[in-house]
Amino acid sequence: MARELWKGNEALAEAAVRAGAEAFFGYPITPQTELLEYMARRMPELGRTFLQAESEIAAIHMVYGAACAGVRALSSSSSPGISLMQEGLSYLAGSEVPCVLVDIMRGGPGLGNIQPSQSDYFQLTRSAGHGDFHPLVLAPSTVQEAVDLMYASFDLAFGWRTLVILAGDGTLGQMMEPVEMPPMRALAVERPDWALTGAAGRSPRVISSLYLDAAELEQSNLRLQAKLQQMAATQQRWESFCVEDADYLVVAFGTVARIAQSAVRAARRAGIRVGLFRPVTLWPYPRQPLDAICPQLRGVLVVEMNGGQMVEDVRCVVRERVPVRFLGHLGGVIPMPDEIEAELAQLVSLSGRAAFS
Amino acid sequence: MAQGTLLIQTDRCKGCGLCIRACPQQVLVAGQHFNALGYQPVQLDEALRRCTGCGVCAWVCPDLVFTVYRESAGRAG
Ligand code: SF4
Ligand code: SF4
Repeated sequence: MARELWKGNEALAEAAVRAGAEAFFGYPITPQTELLEYMARRMPELGRTFLQAESEIAAIHMVYGAACAGVRALSSSSSPGISLMQEGLSYLAGSEVPCVLVDIMRGGPGLGNIQPSQSDYFQLTRSAGHGDFHPLVLAPSTVQEAVDLMYASFDLAFGWRTLVILAGDGTLGQMMEPVEMPPMRALAVERPDWALTGAAGRSPRVISSLYLDAAELEQSNLRLQAKLQQMAATQQRWESFCVEDADYLVVAFGTVARIAQSAVRAARRAGIRVGLFRPVTLWPYPRQPLDAICPQLRGVLVVEMNGGQMVEDVRCVVRERVPVRFLGHLGGVIPMPDEIEAELAQLVSLSGRAAFS
Repeated sequence: MAQGTLLIQTDRCKGCGLCIRACPQQVLVAGQHFNALGYQPVQLDEALRRCTGCGVCAWVCPDLVFTVYRESAGRAG
């Protein structure tokens, strides 16, 4: 395997191709456009489907249609485009049709700008569309991890019949890093037993999210809820750094976790016993592993590129056992390691007990 | 010291600022206007006349934005 320099957006596209994506439907939007551009060239080259839709709304419904036929379909966009897709996402969730979606987040609300942001956290984990559901949300922090998670995402989507969202930010999409690409997979030949493949020789199947009878809709919802609970119990992914002896913990995801790691290293050199906890799944949130670290801690610092979204999940887990501070930047401003260090120093002084080893 | 100058393909620049940090002469600055990609492309502060043509910017730029020219000793003067 060769290590090659890849731009995040293009690496995600190639990883999807290698994971067996059969169809891509999308609409250009910065800072994600290179993904679509790459697919425009790559998919036809392999005899697969690339289609630039007339809008994000059209794109996600094309994904829905293809996925109903059991096809491995994906789309990608950035924050305002994801907002447009929400209707389709809800329909996909309601009919339990699997697909993969990439969100390369940019500054909002509204058109915002094209700088990196993490302000879709609530949207992706809590409200990707109307009705009761959560997508499986994966948040890579390096281009290699983006590739690896993308490679796994179709299996997760089809295995759970769920929507999988890869949540990156403008930095990850634009950044170039050495990557080892996984091998090219053969396309799936068998279609799942729920797929609409033409009813030759069998009775027709129906995929729908419409249940006019209340009791029937409740049953369908309860089935979905049971599946979500199972996912929440088994699909939590995370990474931790220097937590074994940590008195303090920084919690951050995606690009920010890398910046936080530099700050954690520097603070360690200055004698503060601090570790880093990085959720890889934003939904389901890795609550159990975070909870397990809490008893040893004196304070927690959450750093995000938003106004304070994941911090709510952290506070749910920490439950006021120790102070939770928040450092956030909005609108595409990226937090710097020295700011994080300064916040950590504040946390140490506020938590009032000897913190130096 | 040798005198250098740059050809900057501003339409390729994503404004990441790596070159600004890496330039030993500190002559690169973020531009004020936006390119077609929507980023503020880097500029050489020509007024400083301190670019040595060392090529560090070209080495660090991930998006191949720079062509570096260095005054050759043989033909100088
Ligand atoms: S060639 Fe060297 S001195 Fe000139 S701008 Fe690039 S890094 Fe700076
Ligand atoms: S390193 Fe390249 S892409 Fe980044 S700001 Fe400099 S010229 Fe632009």
